[in-house]
Amino acid sequence: MTAATIIQSLASGLLMGLLYGLIAVGLALIFGLMDVTNFAHGEFLMLAMYGAFFLFAFFAVDPLLAAPLVAAGMFVFGAAIYLLIVRFAMRAKANIGMVQIFTTFGLAILMRGLAQFFFTPDYRSIPTSWLGGKTVSLGGIFLPVPQLVGALISVAAFGALFFFIKKTDFGRALEATREDAGAVALVGIDKNKVFALGWGLGSALVGLAGAVMASFFYIYPDVGASFALIAYVTVALGGFGSVFGAFAGGIIVGLVEASTALILPPSLKSVGIYAVYLLVVFIRPRGLFGSI
Amino acid sequence: MDTTFAQRRRRDLILALILAVLAAIVPFFVKDVNVQNIMVLTLMWAALSQSWNILSGYCGQISLGHALYFGLGAYTTTLLFTKFGVLPWFGMLGGGVISALIALGLGYPTFRLRGHYFVIATIVIAEIGLLLFHNWDWAGAALGIDVPVRGDSWAKFQFTRSKLPYYYFALVFCCVAWLVTWYLENSKWGFWWRAVKDNPDAAESLGVVVFNSKMGAAAISAFMTAIGGAFYAQYVSYIDPDSVMTFQFSLLMALPAVLGGIGTLWGPVLGAVILIPLTELTRNYLGGSGRGVDLILYGAVIVLISLARPEGLIGLFSRKPASKGVPQ
Amino acid sequence: MTAPLLETRGVWQRFGGLIANSDVSISAGAGEIVGLIGPNGAGKSTLFNLIAGVLPPTQGTIWFNGEDVTRMPAAERCQRGIARTFQVVKSFETMTVIDNVIVGALIRTTVMREARRKALEVLEFCGLAGRADVLASQLIPSEKRRLEVARALATEPKLLLLDECLTGLTPMEAQSGVELVRKVRATGVTVLMVEHVMEIVMPLVDRAIVLNLGKVLVEGKPTEVVRHPEVISAYLGDRHAISA
Repeated sequence: MTAATIIQSLASGLLMGLLYGLIAVGLALIFGLMDVTNFAHGEFLMLAMYGAFFLFAFFAVDPLLAAPLVAAGMFVFGAAIYLLIVRFAMRAKANIGMVQIFTTFGLAILMRGLAQFFFTPDYRSIPTSWLGGKTVSLGGIFLPVPQLVGALISVAAFGALFFFIKKTDFGRALEATREDAGAVALVGIDKNKVFALGWGLGSALVGLAGAVMASFFYIYPDVGASFALIAYVTVALGGFGSVFGAFAGGIIVGLVEASTALILPPSLKSVGIYAVYLLVVFIRPRGLFGSI
Repeated sequence: MDTTFAQRRRRDLILALILAVLAAIVPFFVKDVNVQNIMVLTLMWAALSQSWNILSGYCGQISLGHALYFGLGAYTTTLLFTKFGVLPWFGMLGGGVISALIALGLGYPTFRLRGHYFVIATIVIAEIGLLLFHNWDWAGAALGIDVPVRGDSWAKFQFTRSKLPYYYFALVFCCVAWLVTWYLENSKWGFWWRAVKDNPDAAESLGVVVFNSKMGAAAISAFMTAIGGAFYAQYVSYIDPDSVMTFQFSLLMALPAVLGGIGTLWGPVLGAVILIPLTELTRNYLGGSGRGVDLILYGAVIVLISLARPEGLIGLFSRKPASKGVPQ
Repeated sequence: MTAPLLETRGVWQRFGGLIANSDVSISAGAGEIVGLIGPNGAGKSTLFNLIAGVLPPTQGTIWFNGEDVTRMPAAERCQRGIARTFQVVKSFETMTVIDNVIVGALIRTTVMREARRKALEVLEFCGLAGRADVLASQLIPSEKRRLEVARALATEPKLLLLDECLTGLTPMEAQSGVELVRKVRATGVTVLMVEHVMEIVMPLVDRAIVLNLGKVLVEGKPTEVVRHPEVISAYLGDRHAISA
């Protein structure tokens, strides 16, 4: 193992980590807003990837162009899921935690089943795209262009999100609602509307990630499962609910994954991530950047 | 009031006895092997869900990683038999003990976690187990292990000509799981678990040692789950990591209880009796599981039950007054 | 004079830079009803939690029945005979009223029949026998308060800690609550009650301890305490703060 291979892996790990951050941030956003863990987050990603795939297959839209369309579609989808399903799960009288976990979890299984039924379990891929298969060399380190662009999009998305939360009315309403939903209702902000928009925004972000990833990952009904687990780990590392914790968490996960792959056989690369999750929550039961 | 309580307990017991006798008679009338297979699986999942229910339903620690204990049971029995010639009965107990010990070891750090942190930890731990078995050459790695056929016998717990011995074992397993739950429900442990589920702080203030309660539930739950895994390995006589330790199994253990009623005595049985035949039949009818119909069914069932009837279908038969007229 | 049942000796509690309790030494003798009062933020709840065993004090010791219980976990203290209620009621919502109480009774016996009998007896005592088979989630607020007390009494405590259990009740409910506390004391149980509103507790307690800014301000008979100038100014100051 030379220094060059180590740097090479860490660089790819960093790119992947930025994408993980983008995948996870929607989850963190929704959790921070209303204390609900969306166990169907991976399936949202899967749906977005299929969205990009079908736009390519039927209309020859490049995934890069498809990204905003997919994000917009996922925005509507996420808001609808909140209004049609999650909203009712929040009304449970007893065992509300369990109800919420199983509602979104059931949704995940349902979406996976529907994908298998309608899209077939076949592995799909987007064979030709503007970025696909290209690499650039930066000081001797080779970086695949799709991942590089994905990472840049992720950084840009986080920047936009930061601006959005701090500077816009809706962003401030979002922040206020996560601080104190009850008080917000008093000043006349419709909690349901904010929650629905929060779900929309969170889903749009994972939609963006899905469209970007469609150009260099196989697309199949179960694809969300493994990424979802990574997203939970990312969000947990960042302290559930912290949007920028998700950014940091993503980078950590990407680097840990790359380092594990250097040491252990490739099939065990996820073990490193899982081990880090366990280690972190055992030491800090509320995550790395979580309060208390 | 005291007597009505005792009467209710006795009525549960009598009902269980009647159902068990009926279940024991059914094979005399049902000769179709496919139907018998569904019956075996229904009993097995009922028992497994009953085991899951102890930790997740009664004690409220939602585990979506019970596939680990199921797989450990299956692997322990099979490895002991194929590598050392140990009879499956001992392997079964060994698997149970190993799983219980591992559950205690894992419980030590994980039971400090709350809510989704705990749920995700259970998923992640089972995933690590799956990956390790995938790469463990001595245990057959991804290729898995065939249980060698040594002729039909109860000693070796192998039957190639008939499913009935498996059926009766599954029936006994299911009855024992039910009886254990029935007994525990009205014991110090049972009360402690429900208290821990509803409000750990209040439980602690009443002298409940919350941590020990969770540990006890985890050990019992894991032990019984491993017995199920060992049985399954004998029943299908071939195991690999993907066929005994994937997330699918964790899901299938939770589902009947969720459907029938989490944290109730009859929930897992009711859920399994509805769910398992339904999925097996749709799968047979529509051909293959590749089309995801079973998942659609599971998913829709979970969403609908969680939203419409979070207390489970058992609520339809509830003797307690429904939660109407709650003064706010 | 024999040693008091409960005694805190020079107890300090700091949260970061905030001092919630400083050098608090109080005691409660067997069979006494002691009121722990004081304006908002006086450190009553913190002291209460230290005695109940929710967290250990930063400094100082807590003695119960001649034993140092400073670092003992809550469950073990309950075993020794300290029971508590919660200001924000924490019923076991999915369990019936009697099952709630059985949880408490199980600390003294593992025979279910015995625990059930004990629970019924306690429910009778607390006037909840008629609601035994109702789910705890269906009780009205004043009944939930009673359930808190019943559950605690089922553990057969020597010391009962009541956390604002009379606050927020209607005058009639509060009056029957007062009677319940008197009944509890009549059975030989020591009661330490935290209350914010003085009017409710003063006629009930044998001795009142006033906390202000984390320190013991005054201690004595309720009639003396209410006339104490420092108490008046602490409370008036508090009222001014509220109205401001």
